[in-house]
Amino acid sequence: MLNFLRSRKCKAVLWVLALLTGLMLYAVFMEGYTISVIGIMKTISAPFQRASNAISQHVEYALDIYRNAENYDEENRALREEINALHRELADYEAAKEELERLQAFIGIKEKHEDYSMTAPFDVTGYITNDPFYGFTIDGGSEDNISLYDPVVSDKGLVGVITELGTHTATVTTILSPELSVSAGTRSSKERGVLTGSVSLAMDGMCKLQYLDKNTSLKKDKVILTTGENGMFPAGYVIGYVKEVGMDDTGLTAYAAIEPASDMKKLGMVVVITDFSGKAEQNETEP
Amino acid sequence: MKQNRKIQKPPSVALQVVQWVLFFVLIAICYFIETSGSERKPLLLIPVALCIASHTEEISAMLTGMFCGLLLDSACGKLPGFNAMILVISCVLVSLLYRYFLRQKLMNMLILTAGCTFLEGYLNYLLYYALWDYEEVELIWEKILFPSCLMTIISTVIFYFLVKKIAETCGSHRVNQLEKTMLDLWQD
Repeated sequence: MLNFLRSRKCKAVLWVLALLTGLMLYAVFMEGYTISVIGIMKTISAPFQRASNAISQHVEYALDIYRNAENYDEENRALREEINALHRELADYEAAKEELERLQAFIGIKEKHEDYSMTAPFDVTGYITNDPFYGFTIDGGSEDNISLYDPVVSDKGLVGVITELGTHTATVTTILSPELSVSAGTRSSKERGVLTGSVSLAMDGMCKLQYLDKNTSLKKDKVILTTGENGMFPAGYVIGYVKEVGMDDTGLTAYAAIEPASDMKKLGMVVVITDFSGKAEQNETEP
Repeated sequence: MKQNRKIQKPPSVALQVVQWVLFFVLIAICYFIETSGSERKPLLLIPVALCIASHTEEISAMLTGMFCGLLLDSACGKLPGFNAMILVISCVLVSLLYRYFLRQKLMNMLILTAGCTFLEGYLNYLLYYALWDYEEVELIWEKILFPSCLMTIISTVIFYFLVKKIAETCGSHRVNQLEKTMLDLWQD
């Protein structure tokens, strides 16, 4: 021990300790500023520190997974359930929003035509198999205040009439059918005719406005509405748009091919107009 | 001899119940297909009813025909009984033909289905459209009813094998009278 105290090694240690003490005192007097030697050291060591820090983080992370796997699993499950619940809520919200939009469209009908008494919207339960005129059934019947030959409309336009009535179901014959005749014309009522179904036009989802004046001024895309003349249909309801105009075989009158505003092949919901101003008092005769 | 033994040993009640439950499910599926969407489609209930009739006795065939016919009337929006009458007659006839003359061959069933389908299609066209003399009414036959008849006949292939499989699995294999007589004669 005495030998060491006498040796140069001990002196070297003391020198170093003194140097460090001096350094410490210098640092104290620098009042928070990094002394240059330490600064250089830090700069040099920074990349290595980052690397070692990253490695240690990875290791810690791996160890943490291993240690807390059970907790994480539980947390994961809880979060998944929460996500599923949120997805379900979102789906419900989307469905409700869609339903609301559809119903809002029907409310628009009532706002435009205050004289109408309408039922609640009914779902189209099914199309009549292979019917050339796209007849369909709805989930409303006499219990819902519907009567035979009541007009059926969608939010876009006239659809048809009730031709078969049950307590909770009804069959609708569309305006594509030749069985149906509707008094129709343009908004200004300058051009008037009788709208009826035609076999050839029904194949393309259209109907025919016939008995027009042979010098008709009707043009493509002109809107055709009901005129409400026979009291079977309310006046001023949109039927469709003119697709083409031609002359009848007789050459005495013109006709127009009308594309209904409602797509008869893709109806989802319809409403039945149970009463309107100008409705024929006794509606027991076929339209 | 082997086939004769099958006739003598009728299938158990449980198997018959299973068979009819499966037939009912098949009919229900066809009905739901008929009433879905607005596209033109085959009248699937016709081949199903006839295929079932070919494996059953006359009364069961009649009831099947009536049930399928009424479902078809409902799906097609026809007067209740229109298709039911056609199918009752067709099913009983098919059952009798299979009892006395015909063997379980796909071609036999295709011919019978074609006959019944075209009869139904033509009567439908005649009574519901042609009679009312609509302008260009023949388009309904050309573009809707005739293609539907063809699709119906083609769909028979599926139902023929399906019904045959169910009937054979449930043990109600039928040997017609002609075959039986021939077998008896051969034995003698």
